[in-house]
Amino acid sequence: MKRIWIILVNVILIVALLTFVILYTFFEHRESTKLQIEHYKNTSITMKHVTENYLEGEQRICDVWARYINSKDMTIEEAASFIRISHVLPYASAHIVYIDTQSGLSTKPRQDDPTDFSVTYSRLNLLEDLSWIHRIGEAINITRAYTNPMNGEQSIAFCNTITLHNEETGKPRTAILLRVLPISELEEKWVFPKEEFKSTELSLIDGDGDYIIKGHSFKNSSFFEFYRSYNTIDPASAQELFGKITSLTGSLTMKNSRGEECILAYTPLDTTGGWTLLSFMPMKDLEINAENWLLIGFVAAGLVILFVFDLVIMILFNKQLQHTAREAASANRAKTDFLSTMSHDIRTPMNAIIGLTTIAEKNLDDPKAVGENLRKISLASNHLLTLINDILDISKVESGKLNLNPQTFSIVESVENLVNLSQPMVKEKNIDFNFRIGQFEKEYLYADQLRLNQIYINILSNAIKYTEPNGQVSVDMIEEASQKPGCVRLTYRVADTGIGMTPEFMATMYQPFSRQTDSRVTSIQGTGLGLAITKQMVDLMGGTIDCQSQPGQGTTFTIVLDIPVADQQRDEMKLDPVDVLIVDDDEVLLETAVDTLESLGVTADRATSGLEALGMIAHRHETGRDYGVVILDWKMPEIDGVETIRRIRSEVNPDTPVLLISAYDWSDIEEKAKEAGANGFLTKPLFRSTLYDKLSEILGTEITSVEPETDYSDLEGLNILVAEDNEINWEIISALLSMYGITTERAENGRICVEKMQQAAKGSYTLIFMDIQMPEMNGLDATRAIRSLQDPWASSIPIVAMTADAFSENVTECLNAGMNGHIAKPIDIKLVIKEIRRIREENKK
Amino acid sequence: MKKLLSVILLLCTVASLAACVGKTPEEKPVEFKPALDTTTTCSITVVGGYDNFEALEAEFDTFNEVYPNVKFSYQKLDDYNNTLATALEGNNKPNIFFSNAWMIGNEKYAPVLAHAEDLSDPALKLNLDCIRPGLITRESKDTVHMVPVFSRTYGMLVNENLFKKEGLSVPTTWTELMSVCAAFREKGYANPMMGYSAKSSSCLMNTVAYPLFVAALSQNPDALAKANNLDPEAGPYMRTALEAVEQLVKNKCVDLAKCDEIADNYTKVILRFFEGDVPMMICQGDTVSGTKKRESQSEAFTASPFEYSFYPIPVNEQGGYFIDSPSIEFSVNKDCDNLDMTNEFMRFLISSKELNNMSSIKRLVSPTTDMSVDSVYAPFTKIPAERTFSPEVLGIKDPLTVQLRIAAFKVGKGELTIEEAISAYGSFE
Repeated sequence: MKRIWIILVNVILIVALLTFVILYTFFEHRESTKLQIEHYKNTSITMKHVTENYLEGEQRICDVWARYINSKDMTIEEAASFIRISHVLPYASAHIVYIDTQSGLSTKPRQDDPTDFSVTYSRLNLLEDLSWIHRIGEAINITRAYTNPMNGEQSIAFCNTITLHNEETGKPRTAILLRVLPISELEEKWVFPKEEFKSTELSLIDGDGDYIIKGHSFKNSSFFEFYRSYNTIDPASAQELFGKITSLTGSLTMKNSRGEECILAYTPLDTTGGWTLLSFMPMKDLEINAENWLLIGFVAAGLVILFVFDLVIMILFNKQLQHTAREAASANRAKTDFLSTMSHDIRTPMNAIIGLTTIAEKNLDDPKAVGENLRKISLASNHLLTLINDILDISKVESGKLNLNPQTFSIVESVENLVNLSQPMVKEKNIDFNFRIGQFEKEYLYADQLRLNQIYINILSNAIKYTEPNGQVSVDMIEEASQKPGCVRLTYRVADTGIGMTPEFMATMYQPFSRQTDSRVTSIQGTGLGLAITKQMVDLMGGTIDCQSQPGQGTTFTIVLDIPVADQQRDEMKLDPVDVLIVDDDEVLLETAVDTLESLGVTADRATSGLEALGMIAHRHETGRDYGVVILDWKMPEIDGVETIRRIRSEVNPDTPVLLISAYDWSDIEEKAKEAGANGFLTKPLFRSTLYDKLSEILGTEITSVEPETDYSDLEGLNILVAEDNEINWEIISALLSMYGITTERAENGRICVEKMQQAAKGSYTLIFMDIQMPEMNGLDATRAIRSLQDPWASSIPIVAMTADAFSENVTECLNAGMNGHIAKPIDIKLVIKEIRRIREENKK
Repeated sequence: MKKLLSVILLLCTVASLAACVGKTPEEKPVEFKPALDTTTTCSITVVGGYDNFEALEAEFDTFNEVYPNVKFSYQKLDDYNNTLATALEGNNKPNIFFSNAWMIGNEKYAPVLAHAEDLSDPALKLNLDCIRPGLITRESKDTVHMVPVFSRTYGMLVNENLFKKEGLSVPTTWTELMSVCAAFREKGYANPMMGYSAKSSSCLMNTVAYPLFVAALSQNPDALAKANNLDPEAGPYMRTALEAVEQLVKNKCVDLAKCDEIADNYTKVILRFFEGDVPMMICQGDTVSGTKKRESQSEAFTASPFEYSFYPIPVNEQGGYFIDSPSIEFSVNKDCDNLDMTNEFMRFLISSKELNNMSSIKRLVSPTTDMSVDSVYAPFTKIPAERTFSPEVLGIKDPLTVQLRIAAFKVGKGELTIEEAISAYGSFE
């Protein structure tokens, strides 16, 4: 829907709602007004009763006076004197006026002459017609409002006819007794009883509409004239209306002198002849319903706020949608770029594999050429495998599905593994490789070893990869106390003298498929995913990764991780006292190694060269204090480790145990070292446990020659059950294992595997290699079935997953199903052999 | 475009909501600038002899737009001339009271005028210049104790429709008047002219005679002085005036027996005129002021409305006179409560705008210099200046007017001959 339509719909809804609220309020208001008018009318009736009571009360006083005067045959002076005594109200007065002369006496003197009590009504046109004055006690006899001739105040008077004694004639003389009350005083008392009608003004009118008492808002001298002056009405209607007002109780609306709509309630007084009480108030004061407008205001404001809010939200949504659309387009482009890159990166090694295979097939008669082709095929295959692993990892990272599976592991083994893995390239490029460690207190840690290794390997392999031949790569690993409880802080720093990186590339180097544009780089195989994966994994582990690099100067990566310490740690490592000489040209290594050795309880001397070592050994030998063990670095200036051993053996002591240490793969020098008299080998870095294990072995047992890695005799005779549905994979594993003298039996799926185990005699199989995805019964179910077998041997047989499901969660899944290990396809036969040996070692324990 | 439309719609909604919230305050008078705190709360009472005073009440309402908390009331005092002094001494002293020029110099009203504030005091800032100078009575030391709010004059209400109907023109000379009266009689109109004649006060005889007497005295200052002193020697100056009255009666322009049936000199005069059969109704401007309101009260007029105007009575061959005399004047009680606000109200009221407005409502001639009058008074605007007299300017005192009024009344009634009346000048009470 277009935005304009949404806005229009909103506006229409707002208008509709407002209209509804206004109409509702209007009708409510009308009803409320009706009720209020009715209430007002009823209050007026109450006021009428109050007025009547008041008038009756005042009339009663006048009646009492009149009766008393009549009963006593008083003169006018006596009557006035009596009333003065009886009078209690300061503002009221009484006039006694002879009917015949319209003059008489006042109880109070004239305002302008304190000695003059005479009063005359002759010019007031008030007492000429006395028909309205009834006999005492029969009615309320009240005058209209008039000007009190004694003080000029507007007043009303309650009257009675009295008979006075005429001293002159001796005959009775009729007079009118007037109890005079100022209207101003009356007005103060004569207040509408309801607070909500406080602006009400009251008037009393007679049957002709003339005011008896007149409120301020009442204009003219007659109410009827007032009505006609400000309201349009024809004479006939006016006559009818005025008749109604003076005879009935009711209410009407009319305009006042200001043109305002007013409410008039009228009700005739029962106790007076033809008088009507009028209550008059502007309608605006009557309508106490400002809340309704408040309601409308609030609703309107709320709707506007809602409308604005909707608009803002809509705009924000639109912006977000635009952003999302851009991101989607970008992601689409990235996907296309990714596929394109993948296509290129996968096709490149595939091209090599296919091409070289073709070449090899055509040169089957040339073993050298075939061998060379197979070596290259192997390289391309490994690269392809790395690429696929990285793609899987990055896809998991980007989909947020990369989970960590922590387990207890040995950091020593990890570092050894790291060194081992780096050796081929180090050797190939003749790189000066140094791996230094600090004091390692905690060997066993609790983390995702696979991912940790991946981080360390990625950084190290990059350093080696991008360092030109004969360059230098040094690794420092330090264990420190961590601020996180139960953790140690591992700092892993890899520095190289390689090609370095530009600041521009460093800004984007953690993005997938980022590879520096450099002619030297393009010749190096890489997926451009390694650093992205590394960064994500470091983040996932809560660590930091820092990079310092300058083009042509080299690169230093520093990774800091806080890793939980495993509950399981090695027992205290202490050796019997023995003198050890350690020889290396690396002062740092010497320092660390001496500290480590001394922490093991041995006495360590140091020498920085082979010649110095020879001298020290000779000196000890001559004094009869031969070193218990001599540890020599292989690569040293002047004379290397092998030559030093040879000269020790030949010139000083043929029996002193000598260990050769190297940061490199020592398989190349193994033969030479053994010939020279080496008793064992140590791989840098020299962990405490490594030294402890090796020295214990050297000092605690007969000096034995190092068991060569190429000795696979321990594997001969093993029989392994392989659950594998794929024929080719079966053939490969079967053939590879047979090269090591291992026999295999095949189970085509999980169900067959379980059946074979049910039927197998004890010891028939050493272990089971179990594929996971198989028909009928998968590897996980088969494992669970085997683990639940009755036969203890069968149910405890080691089972190792051999599967293309290579993710860490797959590994966890396998272990949880009861398996003892995991080997990912495509298989590396060295890893398979290592795994077999590990399983056997564990079984022995 | 869409954004613009959205903004417009939003503004419309907000504007409509704003309209719901409140209304714009009503405009205040621009000319009058309040000098006191407009939130002042007080009461002001005006007392007078009028039964009602809508014109003044309208001014109260206007003033309340500036000073909303000032509570006004107009009260009629019974027997005004006698109770006023008492009321001024009373507990609820009025702030403003009606006064008349004739009170000045009259001993009886000395206590009344003793309460009157000097309205010429510059501190009060009253714009007395907006009033025609001839209407303001200045006493010794140039003090002004009263300011006119209306002007009164003498004349006759003319039923224009009857003249048109009978093909007659409104008379402009004494001869024409006699002819018109004769013509109407011939056409069956028993009373070509009527007026109040039951009592001397505001009687038609005085209305006819007074302009002529004033005109006669205006020519002779000595005679005026004698007349003011009630010197019988001034009696002959009434002759022309009394002759006019006598002629009207003798020529049957006026049937006094019929006129006596009119019970009062105000409402009944008007209602009789509205009966529609009287071509000319002799009365004063004060009576004309009640015509508008009583149009609706007259069934005859409501049934058969007609055009009417107030004309000068053509008392001689030169036509009629415009006696420009103050009608009602206001005095401020200097001893009242809230004197500051009372003076503020007077400052508001004494302006051409407000006085003209009040005159328009009251249907009286405005006392202002711009001579703004209701259309009913239009014929008076055509009277030349030399035939316009201001009794106050001439120095005519009230006792003089009493002598003429009674003399004219008695001559008209046939109780005295002209000669007897002239010789009795100064003795009428």
